[in-house]
Amino acid sequence: MIDEIIFEVLRHRLDAINDDAASVLARLSGSHLAAEARDLNTVIMAPDGRVVCCGRYVLAQVVSMHLVVRDILDNYPDNPGIEPGDQFVTNDPYIGTLHQPDVVVVAPIFVAGRIVGWCGSTAHQPDVGGPNPGGITYDARSIFDEAQPMPPLRIVEGGRLRRDIEREYLIRSRTAELNRLDLHGQIVANRGVVDQVTRLCDQYGADTLAAVMDRLLERTEALLRERLRALPDGRWRHVSHVEYRPHGSADEEPEAVYAVRLTMTKRGDDLELDFTGSDPQAPGTINAAYPALANFAVGGVLIYLCGGLPWVPGGVWPVVRILSREGTVVHARWPAGVAMSTAATCQAIRVSINSCLARMLEASQDLSHLVMASCQAAGGGGGTVHGTRGDGTAYATMTLDEISGGGGATWADDGADSSGYTTSPGASCANVEVNEAYLPLLYERRAELADTGGPGRRRGGVGSMHALTPHGTTTPMTMMSFGQGLQHPLATGVCGGEYGRQSVVAVMPSAELATLGDPEGGGARRLPMPAATMRVGPGDVLVSVSQGGGGLGDPLERAPSEVLDDVLDGLVSLAGARRDYGVVIVGGGPDSPEPRPDSPDPRPDEETRVDEEATARLRAERRRARIGRSPLPPVPPAAGERRGRRLSAALDLLVPAEGTPDREGTVTCARCATVLCGAHENVHEHLVVEEASPADRSPLGAVYPGVERFVLRHFYCPGCAAQVDVQVCRAGDPILAAIEVL
Amino acid sequence: MTAPGPRALIGVDTGGTFTDTVVTLSDGRLGVGKALSTPGRVEQGVLDSIGQAAAGLGLTLPELLRRTVILTHGTTVGLNALLTGAGARVGLLTTAGFESTLPIAKANKTNGLDELDLTMPTRWRKPEPLVVRPDIAGVSERIDATGAVVRPLDEAQARTAIRRLAARGVEAVAVCLLWSPVNPAHERRVAELVAQEMPGVRVSCSADIAPVVGEYERSSTVALDAYVAPVVGAYLRALQERLREHGFGGVLMILRTGGGAEPVEQTLRAPVNTLRSGPVAGLAATAGLAAKLGHDNVIATDVGGTSFDVGLVIGGEMQRASTPMVHRHALAIPVIEVESIGTGGGSLAWIDHGLGALRVGPRSAGSDPGPVCYGRAGTRPTLTDASAVLGYLSRLGNAVELDVEAAREAIRTQIAEPLGIGTIAAAEGIVRIATDQMRDLIRRATIRRGHDPSAFALVAFGGAGPQYASWYADGLGALDVVIPDLAAELSAYGAVSSDLSIGAERGIVPTPVDEAGAVVTAVLGELAEQIEAGLPGAVDDVATASGRSRTLRRSVALRFYRQQRRIELPVGAVVDAAELARLGAEFRERYEQIVGVGTASRDTPVEVVSVRVEVTVAVPVPPPVARERGAAEPVDERLAWFDGVEHRCAVYDWRRLRADHEIKGPAFIESEQTTVVLPPRRRARMDTSGHLHLG
Repeated sequence: MIDEIIFEVLRHRLDAINDDAASVLARLSGSHLAAEARDLNTVIMAPDGRVVCCGRYVLAQVVSMHLVVRDILDNYPDNPGIEPGDQFVTNDPYIGTLHQPDVVVVAPIFVAGRIVGWCGSTAHQPDVGGPNPGGITYDARSIFDEAQPMPPLRIVEGGRLRRDIEREYLIRSRTAELNRLDLHGQIVANRGVVDQVTRLCDQYGADTLAAVMDRLLERTEALLRERLRALPDGRWRHVSHVEYRPHGSADEEPEAVYAVRLTMTKRGDDLELDFTGSDPQAPGTINAAYPALANFAVGGVLIYLCGGLPWVPGGVWPVVRILSREGTVVHARWPAGVAMSTAATCQAIRVSINSCLARMLEASQDLSHLVMASCQAAGGGGGTVHGTRGDGTAYATMTLDEISGGGGATWADDGADSSGYTTSPGASCANVEVNEAYLPLLYERRAELADTGGPGRRRGGVGSMHALTPHGTTTPMTMMSFGQGLQHPLATGVCGGEYGRQSVVAVMPSAELATLGDPEGGGARRLPMPAATMRVGPGDVLVSVSQGGGGLGDPLERAPSEVLDDVLDGLVSLAGARRDYGVVIVGGGPDSPEPRPDSPDPRPDEETRVDEEATARLRAERRRARIGRSPLPPVPPAAGERRGRRLSAALDLLVPAEGTPDREGTVTCARCATVLCGAHENVHEHLVVEEASPADRSPLGAVYPGVERFVLRHFYCPGCAAQVDVQVCRAGDPILAAIEVL
Repeated sequence: MTAPGPRALIGVDTGGTFTDTVVTLSDGRLGVGKALSTPGRVEQGVLDSIGQAAAGLGLTLPELLRRTVILTHGTTVGLNALLTGAGARVGLLTTAGFESTLPIAKANKTNGLDELDLTMPTRWRKPEPLVVRPDIAGVSERIDATGAVVRPLDEAQARTAIRRLAARGVEAVAVCLLWSPVNPAHERRVAELVAQEMPGVRVSCSADIAPVVGEYERSSTVALDAYVAPVVGAYLRALQERLREHGFGGVLMILRTGGGAEPVEQTLRAPVNTLRSGPVAGLAATAGLAAKLGHDNVIATDVGGTSFDVGLVIGGEMQRASTPMVHRHALAIPVIEVESIGTGGGSLAWIDHGLGALRVGPRSAGSDPGPVCYGRAGTRPTLTDASAVLGYLSRLGNAVELDVEAAREAIRTQIAEPLGIGTIAAAEGIVRIATDQMRDLIRRATIRRGHDPSAFALVAFGGAGPQYASWYADGLGALDVVIPDLAAELSAYGAVSSDLSIGAERGIVPTPVDEAGAVVTAVLGELAEQIEAGLPGAVDDVATASGRSRTLRRSVALRFYRQQRRIELPVGAVVDAAELARLGAEFRERYEQIVGVGTASRDTPVEVVSVRVEVTVAVPVPPPVARERGAAEPVDERLAWFDGVEHRCAVYDWRRLRADHEIKGPAFIESEQTTVVLPPRRRARMDTSGHLHLG
C-alpha cells in the first residue's frame, strides 16, 4: 500500500514523462499534421497494455492502445520475441489503429527482466501508400484497394533500428522523408519514456510503480462507477448516418446511407453501448474495424461523461461494455476497406455516444452541467489534395481547413465558435500563409459563417467557410473529400437544441464566390455530391464549410439581447435571428435597417436593437404554429423544484402514490405539467412532431441530391409548445424511442 | 552630463508586490532598494525604490540620478493592462475575406489551460478576444506568397473601413494584411491612411512589429501591441519626465521579452515587446552570473507566490520559445522561453478523495487572501503554510509576523486528520509534492529538448527559490547549485546587467537552404539598412557610457522541411554558395547535438524561414567588492522539522557570511528578503562574489 504522498509524486511524474514524449514527437515531426493539427498522441500503459497515462491530443488514437499490446503479447513472446530495447511498429486497423495513416509505435519497459509497462504513440502520416495520395481511396472495394496495413513489426531490436524494416515501411509512402522524421520521433520519444520510467523504478522500486498504476486504474473505475450510480437507470437511443457513394461511381450505382444505431443502457454502475443494430458494412473505405469502434467509444465516454474525473482510459474499459456485430459498418469484417473510418463511421459513433450520454446526464440535476452538444463532424474541408506545383514538383497533403467547425453548447455557455473537434482538443487549423507557402493555391476567403451554429437557448458554435483556388500553377488540383454531413446535419443538439448546420464542399467558377455566404441572397444552390476525386482547375474555387456545433434548449428561450449580440458579431444574420430565434431586430443606420447584399459592410451598426414587442408577438405566433393552437402558459412548480423525477431537461416522471391503479407513473412536461403518456411508453410518440427538410437551413443554400431522404423532426410539448427534442432521421423512419424508462 | 564621483548603472524591476532596484557604482559598490509597487501610479514606486537604494549608498535620489549613465527598467504595466482587461479598445484592419482570422484563432481552445480544466471539456474555450468582431474591418487588397499584388489596394474602400472603426470609438488600430512580411507596401499605405483619417491614434503595423509568416500569430501580436501601447506609452513618458525632474540625464532603457534592453524610444514603437520581460530579467542575470562562474549550461529557477518558472541557458545563450503565448494569446516576436507551472508559495494543498492523493495546486490563494499564516482572510492551507508549520519561515519580508498557529490548525484539520497522519507529516508531504512538481518541470524543460539536467548548473532565485532549492535540485545531478547574491532582487540585477540590443527580424517564405542565397543576402541588407536608419541616438550614448562599441550580428533560422523546431545560426553579410553549404552542414550538426546522433536525415531538405539582424552594445557591470574569507557564526537558532524529526538549527545572516566557510545543515541562512533552508545532509558555502553554493 502506498501513501497519498508517494502516489501523487509518481502520478505527476508519469504524466510529465508522457507529455514530454508528445512534445518530443511534435518537435521532431516534419509534418504539419503533427505541428499544427497535433494529429498525434502518446500513452504509458500497464504491463498488460491498459492505458494509465494519456496525452491531451487526439484521444481516439490511443485510448485503446492495449489492443496493439495484447496482439504483441499474444503472438510474439517466442518469435520474434519481446526483449528490452525493442519497439514495434504497426498501422493495422484490424489490430489496433484507427486507419492505415495512423502509425503506432510501442515499446515494452523492462526492469530486471520483467515487463513493468509499455509506452507508445500514434502519429497520423501524410501518406502510407495505396492507390491515392494521402492514404485514403474513396472508391476502394476492399482493403486491397487501399494502403496495405503492416501488422506489428519489431522495428527496433535491443535499441537498434532495423534498417531493412525501416525501408520496407518507407517504400510504401509518397512522403518517405516526412514519415521517416515521424518514425524517428516516435522511436526517440519511446526511448525517452523507457529511460525515465526505468530510472523511476530504480528510485522507487518496480513494485511501487505497479501499485501506482493499479491505483490509477482501480480508482478511475471506482469513480466512474460512482458517477454512474448517481445517475438514474435508463435506456437511450440515437441513430446517426454516414453518406457514402460506393465505388465513387457517378451514375450507375445509387448513393447509399449507412446508419449507426446505438442503444445505450445504464443499470447501476454498468454502461452498455449496443451497436448491433447498425447497418451492414459498406463495400469500402468508410467502415470502422473493431479497434476504431473501441477507441471512439472509450474516447467519447471520456469526453462526454468523465469531465472532472481522472482521464485514465484503462480504468474506463471495465465499466463500458461494447456490443457489436462483425460485418456491420461499425465492426467491419476483413477485408473490408476502412481507411476513411475516422472521418465517416467513427464520427457517427462519436455523435451517437455524445447524444445518448447527454440524454443520460440531463436526467440528473447535479450532473447536467456536464451536458454538451456535439461539435462538428468531418467538415467539408476534410480531404486530401494533390497536384503539381509550378516548378513541376508534386504535392499531396491535407489543408486542415476542416478543423474550424463549431463546438457544442452547454448549460453554462454557447458552444465555442470555430473551435474544431472536441475529441482532438489540441488540434489547430493551419495559417492561410503556411498553406500558401507550401501549396500552389490562393485563399479567397476564410470566415466564420453566420447561422451555422445550432440554434438553442445556448447557441452551438459557428462553423467556418473556406474558399481557395489554384495559384502559381497551370495544372488543376485534385481533391478527395471525406467531408460528411452534406445532405443532413450531424452535430446533434441537446435538451431541445437544434443540430449544427450541415457542411458543404463544392467546386465552382470563381465568379460565383461573390454571391456566396450572403445569408439573405442566393437562395437554394443545387450542388453535385463530390465524386471520388474533384478537379479544381484554374479559375475554379474550392468552397468548403465545416459544420457548426449543436445547440442546447429551445431557441425561443434564448434571451433576445444575446441574439442581438450574435447579430452584431456576425454570428447570426438578421434573417436567422427571425427564422431561428423568433427575434426581430431593427435599426441599423438611418436608412438601412437590413443589410444589402452589395453593401461593403453587411454588419448593422450599433443603432441596431431588439424590437421587444414584435419579438414577443413573433415568438407567441411561433409557439402557436408549433402545435396548431394557443399554448398553455408555463406552470412553475412549487419552490422551484421539479414536480417529479427528472427524466430530461424538459420532462418529468411522475410516480403515483401507493395504491393508485395506474402503478407505472406518467411522463409530464416539466414546463406546463401536461401529462404526456405512461412511464413505459415512447414519449416521443406523444409529442407534436413537425418534420422539415434539412435543405431549408443549409449553409450557403447548398442542396445536395439525396437530401430529400432526410427529415429534421422537431418534437413539441402538445400543451405549452416547448421544443423538447430535435432528431435527424430518414424520411419514413418510425419514431425512435430515444428515452426509455427502466 | 553626469555629476562627479563614481558613475552609476541602475536596474529597476517592477513586480506585482515590490519594485526592486539594484545600483552598481563604478567603484564596485552595490546598492539595493525595495519599495511597494504602486498600481495606478507605477512611476512613484520606481522612484521610491531608487530613492531607497540611493539612501543605502549615502546619496539622495537626485545625487544618484545625476551620476547615472544608464537606467534599465523592466515593467509589467503592459502585462497588467492585459491581465486586468484595462487596455485600449482596438480596431483591427485585415485583408477583406479574412476578418475571422483572429476570432478563429487557429481553432485553439485548450492552449494555456491548467491541468484541472484540461479534463473538463465543458470549459474548453478560447481566451476572451482582444478585439471584438465588429471592430475588425476588411480592406480590399491581396498579395500572394511571392509578394506579387493579386488585387491592388482599394484606398477608397480602406478609408471607409477606417472611418467606420473611428465612428465605433476605437482607441488604437492594428493592421495585419496577408503576406505583409514579404511585401509590406499595402500595410504601410493602410497605416498612412489611418494616420490621415484618425490623426494621433496609435497604429501598430504587423510588418514593423512582427514580420513573420503566419497571419494568426501576427494578428494576435499587433492586436496585443495596440491594446497595451497607449497604457505603456503614457507610463513610460510619465516615468521619463519624473526621472528628468530628479536630475536623470542618462539613457533610459527598457527590458525586452526577447532578451536584452533597448532605448525607450525603441520600446515606444513596439511596446508588445515588454509583455513577458519579467521572467527574462532573472534569466539574463543568471546567464551573466553563470559565465562568471564558468558554467555554459544553466537552469534558472524562480519560485514566486503563484508560479514556478524555469529557463535555460545553453552554451551561454538564452533559448527562444517556438510557439510563445502571453495570457493564452499567441506572440510572433522573439520571446525567451521560460516555462511555468502554477506551483508557488500560494498554491493550495487539497485532498483528491477520488484518486486518494494529496495534491498541491494548480489553484492558488495568490496574494489575496494569501496563505493562512499571513493572517489576512486566507483559510485554506498553502505551500507557504506548510513551510511555516515546519519552522522554515520565521517572518514575511521585513516585518510581518506569521500566524503559524493558524497555519498549523488549517493543515491539521484540512489535510492531516482526513488522511489520518500527523500535522508535521502532512506539512512535509505538501513540501515534497510541490517541490517534486518543480523538479518534474526542470526535468521536462531539459529532457524534452534532448538535454540531460546533469550537464547543467542550477541557479535558484526569487523570493522563495532559496527556500525550496535544496529539495527540487535533489536528484537532478546538477553540476552546481547556486543561490546568487541578490537572489530576491535578481530581476533588477538582470536589468542592470542587460546589454543593449535592437533587433529586426523578417520571416521569409520557407526556402530550401541551397536556394536561399539571394533572398537571405537581400533581406540582410534591407534589415541592416532599416535598423541603422532607425537607431535612436541613445545607442551611441550607451556605447560611450559603457566604453564598448556596437556590434552588428546577422543570423538565419533554419529547420527541416516544415518542422517546428528551428535553429538560429550566425551568417556573414553576403551569403554565397559556400556559406549556404556551411549553414546546411552546421544545422545538421547542431540538430544531432540536440536531438540525437543519426536523426538529421540527409534526405530531408533544410529550409531557411527567417532572417535576423541585431545591433548590440555590451553594458559591463563593475565587479563587486570581494567578500572576505573566514568563519561564520550563527546569529540565532530555531526549531524546525525535517523527515519527521525536530532539529535545533543554526540561523546565519547572509550579509555577515564570509567566503569559503562551509555551513552544515540543518541550518537557515537569512537575508532581509529570503531564507535559504538547508536540510540535514546539505552543505552550503559562500564564494568571494557573495554567491552561495549548495552541496
